[in-house]
Amino acid sequence: MSITLGHYLALAAMLFTIGLAGALTRKNAIIVLVAIEIMFNAAILNLVAFWHFKVFTTLTAQMFAMFSIAIAAAESAIGLALVIAIYRHYRSVDVDEMKTLQG
Amino acid sequence: MEHAEYLQQLASQQWLIPLIPLVAAGIQALLKQRSRKLSATLTISAMALACLLALRAFFATLGGDHGDHHEVGRAFYNFTWFAFGTTKLELGFILDPLTAGMATMVTFVGLMIFINATGYMHDDVNFTRFFCFLSLFAASMLGMIISNNLLLLFMCWELVGLCSYLLIGFWYYKPSAAAAMKKAFITTRIGDVGFFIGILMLYHQTGTLNLYTADGTGALQQADKLATLAGWWGLSMAGTIALMLFIGAMGKSAQFPLHVWLPDAMEGPTPVSALIHAATMVAAGVFMVGRMFPVFTAGAGDWVMDFVMWVGCITAVFSATIAVAQFDIKRVLAYSTCSQLGFMVMALGAGGLSAGQFHLLTHAFFKALLFLASGCVIIGTHHEQDMRKMGGLRKYMPITFVCYVLGTLALAGFPLTAGFFSKDEVLLVTYHHNKLAWGLATFAAFLTAFYMTRQIFMVFFGKWRGGEAAHGHAHAKHDDHGHGHGGHVPHEVPWNMTGPIAILSVFAVLMGWLGTPWLGDNFFHHYLAPSEPAPHHSNLVLWLSIGVGLFGIFLGWFFYGRRPMEHATDADPLQAKLGALFTWLNRKWFIDEIYEATIIRWTMALGVLFRLVDKLVVDGLLHAIAWITWGISWFTRQVGDELIINGGFDAGCEGVRGYAKILAKLQSGRVQNYFRILCLGTAILLVVYFIK
Amino acid sequence: MTTAFWIISAVTLLGAVLAVTLRNLVHCVLALILFFLGIAGHYFLLRADFLGVVQILIYIGAVAVLILFAIMLTRNVTGTEGPREVFGLKWWSGAATAAIIGALVLAAIRRDELSKLPTSTQANSSVLEIGKLLVTDWVVPFEAMAVLLTAALIGAVVIALEEVLRRR
Repeated sequence: MSITLGHYLALAAMLFTIGLAGALTRKNAIIVLVAIEIMFNAAILNLVAFWHFKVFTTLTAQMFAMFSIAIAAAESAIGLALVIAIYRHYRSVDVDEMKTLQG
Repeated sequence: MEHAEYLQQLASQQWLIPLIPLVAAGIQALLKQRSRKLSATLTISAMALACLLALRAFFATLGGDHGDHHEVGRAFYNFTWFAFGTTKLELGFILDPLTAGMATMVTFVGLMIFINATGYMHDDVNFTRFFCFLSLFAASMLGMIISNNLLLLFMCWELVGLCSYLLIGFWYYKPSAAAAMKKAFITTRIGDVGFFIGILMLYHQTGTLNLYTADGTGALQQADKLATLAGWWGLSMAGTIALMLFIGAMGKSAQFPLHVWLPDAMEGPTPVSALIHAATMVAAGVFMVGRMFPVFTAGAGDWVMDFVMWVGCITAVFSATIAVAQFDIKRVLAYSTCSQLGFMVMALGAGGLSAGQFHLLTHAFFKALLFLASGCVIIGTHHEQDMRKMGGLRKYMPITFVCYVLGTLALAGFPLTAGFFSKDEVLLVTYHHNKLAWGLATFAAFLTAFYMTRQIFMVFFGKWRGGEAAHGHAHAKHDDHGHGHGGHVPHEVPWNMTGPIAILSVFAVLMGWLGTPWLGDNFFHHYLAPSEPAPHHSNLVLWLSIGVGLFGIFLGWFFYGRRPMEHATDADPLQAKLGALFTWLNRKWFIDEIYEATIIRWTMALGVLFRLVDKLVVDGLLHAIAWITWGISWFTRQVGDELIINGGFDAGCEGVRGYAKILAKLQSGRVQNYFRILCLGTAILLVVYFIK
Repeated sequence: MTTAFWIISAVTLLGAVLAVTLRNLVHCVLALILFFLGIAGHYFLLRADFLGVVQILIYIGAVAVLILFAIMLTRNVTGTEGPREVFGLKWWSGAATAAIIGALVLAAIRRDELSKLPTSTQANSSVLEIGKLLVTDWVVPFEAMAVLLTAALIGAVVIALEEVLRRR
């Protein structure tokens, strides 16, 4: 069978789901960040798939995707710096322990 | 302009007469103690101005045709003072012969007294305060005289009483003066209660406070109507009102039994005694009866007039007997005043309005003269007042002596003096009314002549007894008045003291011709009360009064003139003759002591009782209320506040906290939880999207 | 094309699943790298060459390495081995939520017409084209991106560095 847009979208959806499951379940903060990267990439894949299947005719999608990648990289850098700072403070990276903001 | 209009215009300007002294008093109240000249000038010029205005009014009432001969010319001016709603409070001024005559007398005699007072009070520190009070008094007295309204009359009546209080106690640091001022005020107050009741009744019955109104609805104009109504104690309403009003007059004019304040009032400076307690204020009671005379005469079968007459008669005799045995120069004159007031009241009670008023006018002049002259004597002898320590003053104070003698002759009723004519009128009127009263009055006239002659001989004849007085006693008196003189010889007083008494003595002699029936129509009678029938002339009365007067003078000379007292410590010649009776008279029939033992003691007991009631009942009630309030507050706090409010509030707070704890679990602080809920929310949105 | 698709998809899915389930942190990262590779492959399949290369360069070359560095720096407590995962309430609720979302999205995809679009054979996007666009139409976002990256760099340094300075 030919590959339709639906396949790619379904793939992206599944990847996204996996990433979401990881973000919700894992205890380690770094793995949560990893899962977030997975979600990011799934979304960008979605975008590029739309471009390919002639939903858009310009290169705008590629531009969009590129900038998204750059932003995602920057965000992961910040996130990891934060994890390091938190590690310094709590001596652990367990998300379950970071509940000082609890009410 | 027309005479009636002119009278009316003057009546509307009557308020100027008391206003000028009032303004003077107001200015003087603000002056410094040092500005004596200014103060005296203000008072005297204000009084002189008022005198001129009064004279103008007097001459206005003389002129013009009075219409029919049985009505006096009378103009009045009523105005609304203030109104609340439909009720109006009115005041009014009146100009009629009674007013004009009294005003002229008051201002003129007052003027003389004020001039004399500048000399008498020369050494006193509180000179300005004295003249301020004098002006205030003059204003209130004049206000009373010109008043056509019971309210204004009462206000000025009370003001006059206040001024009397202030002036009697002018030297308030002396305990005797302080006691005297209170006694005067309280005793006259007792009379004022009756006066006030009378005013209220009159207002209630007639519906107006004005005495005369243009449409005949004035209180006095309705007197005949009042006579037809029934009152208390068997009197008509008019009679009852008259009785109540007369009680006020009894207090103010020192009639028995409310006479006790007048002798003590001699504690004030002598000009005060002259002005207030001889000429004007005590005459106010008589004046008031004269003013309200229509009410007195309205009731035909009432015993009020007889009551008035007997009160006057008793007072006349009673005080004359006391005057015989007094040693203080002013006390003799005080009792003499009391006695003469009795004469006036007696004449009024006998129906003789013009006789009573005429005697009032002449008495004012010669009694003021006598008081002022006694003031000269007191100053001349360096504040000596005991007659036993005087004597032979005719050598040292000739002018005073002559004036004093003229005054005494007038008072004693020596023929052809003013006092002779006026007293004769009084006796005549009484003779036609009640023979017994006339007899007693004649006896009082005899006593009058006797004690005045006694006084003349004791003071002015013989040799000067003052030097041998115990220095301690004299010095004590001197220290009171700030003098350091010893028993020096007396001296004549300066012209500002002798001038007035000289002028007054002229009047004392000549004034009688105004009211004599000898020159045909009695001018004064015609002027004041033409509707009153003139009493028939009686030779018996005339010759008997002359006889007793001369006999009194003779007896006075017999006891005191033949062998004058040698030393101050000598016994009074009369005392030797009368013994215990003399002591009884000297001690004023022990009336003061009786009052003290009865009325005053009962009043004090009542005061103690009320204080007890106050402590137990009133204070007890207060404490009870306080306890109850405390109890309520305690209860409210314990049960209400603690239990219900606080407890309820706390319970509420606990509830909220419980819920908050439950809700707080939502916020776990864990990011994954938040994320999870976020995703669930998104899922729900997607479901909704699907369903759409 | 279809075979390539399936193989690469399998690789990608494997990498993703491994990345979220492995216990060893480093293994997770390695799986992540595998995942990135798979994505890059998909990009090539979709004829977005430049993007594929960029993906490899940035994600594998920078992000994954960064994550490895972070793991190294936080090693003392956790070690390279994470503790055993507890399959408790949190795990199941998290998994369930994700599953729900996934199911919904898949259902949405299935319903839509757009999904039926076939593959196209249009020409690739050239790098020259992209370069031209970057400096003409997209120059502002380009520069903004530069600023953003600079800020991120500085921020990361500040956040991570602070403690070190203090300790001294």
